[in-house]
Amino acid sequence: MKKTLKKHVGYYISLLSIFIVGFILTVFVSPNLDLQKIIISLTIIAYVIWGIFHHYKNHELTRRIVIEYILIGLFGLSVLFFLIEGGV
Amino acid sequence: MISFLKHLFLPRETNNYRAKILHNKSLLLFTLFFFSAGLLMSFLRTNYPQVLGTFSNISNDQLLAITNQDRQTAGLPPLSINSELSQAAQNKANDMFSKDYWAHVSPDGTTPWVFIKNTGYNYIYAGENLARGFTTPGDVVNAWMNSPSHRENMLSPKYTDVGFAVETGNLTGENTVLVVEMFGSTSFATKTVNPEQQQKSIAVAVTSPTLTPTPTLVQTSPQPNGQTLAEQKINFNQQLAATNLNQTEKTLVNGATFSVLSARVIISLFIFVLILDMIIIERKKIIRFVGHNLDHVIFLSLILLIILVLAKGSIL
Repeated sequence: MKKTLKKHVGYYISLLSIFIVGFILTVFVSPNLDLQKIIISLTIIAYVIWGIFHHYKNHELTRRIVIEYILIGLFGLSVLFFLIEGGV
Repeated sequence: MISFLKHLFLPRETNNYRAKILHNKSLLLFTLFFFSAGLLMSFLRTNYPQVLGTFSNISNDQLLAITNQDRQTAGLPPLSINSELSQAAQNKANDMFSKDYWAHVSPDGTTPWVFIKNTGYNYIYAGENLARGFTTPGDVVNAWMNSPSHRENMLSPKYTDVGFAVETGNLTGENTVLVVEMFGSTSFATKTVNPEQQQKSIAVAVTSPTLTPTPTLVQTSPQPNGQTLAEQKINFNQQLAATNLNQTEKTLVNGATFSVLSARVIISLFIFVLILDMIIIERKKIIRFVGHNLDHVIFLSLILLIILVLAKGSIL
């Protein structure tokens, strides 16, 4: 894991930056749920694009990996959808 | 059974060295399940609110008891429930739901003082605290006590009366429990407050900037229906207590609590399995062409943080 982190430090800094901005904005617009939904969706889309780009740049991109990132993104979105519809 | 669990959660030969629940097919199944469950929850909340709904265990009596406990600890006299302030709080809550705003001042500029005055409560000092998204009275009072301006209201020696309203409904797109707390006094405080201190407390309690110069005596003469104001207050409090009891009884499952708990458990489980998968694969030095577990761990940790933000109540 340390090797991965050292090798991809620039990518992980960019990923954390995306997430920090997304998280701060989500907290900042609270409790406006509609705006929160938009910010969360955009952050998830950014993650999927980042993941695909990261693998592409490392010459290890396959169709299966593309699907995996899309599914992980959708999975996170589906859990939040369930949470919101549950009346949180 | 143990072998099946290992197949699900650990990378082994049987699952092509990738925990089964991390396979794309499993992810797709979980995603479809949560989208379907979300739709079902939405349907149940709309059509069967008695089965799945938003409710709170917050009662006015509990809010008063905890508030007075904190005041007692601070060496202050307890507050008494005032029916006019409770009515003002109720009117404010109704106004917030009908006009869909989360603020002390309504979009048309109506301040909290208007609601108080409209009930006939002639205050000298008044204040307002708001809270939403909490499920227990302890959490509400703690949140207020942890905020300097709200704490100022809670522990102000100038107030003698208080009124609460606890309402559930849809506010700014979110099904929530709204708590309105109105403070007031119709006579000058028994504790001497020097002018400098007085000025400061009015400024800090952003919610209580208005002073009415003439004190008004509390009316104790018999009312047209033969009840004294004190009797009316008791009746009003009993009605409020009954309303709170009904709110708790009419819902079988608290949708918010259930969904928050489920979401936290499932995301934590995935983070745990991803980390375990990452450690085992690294130790065994197995080469796979899959996405980076570390990316997904960071992403799901963000989702967990967002769950905490969405589930956290807010005060104003």
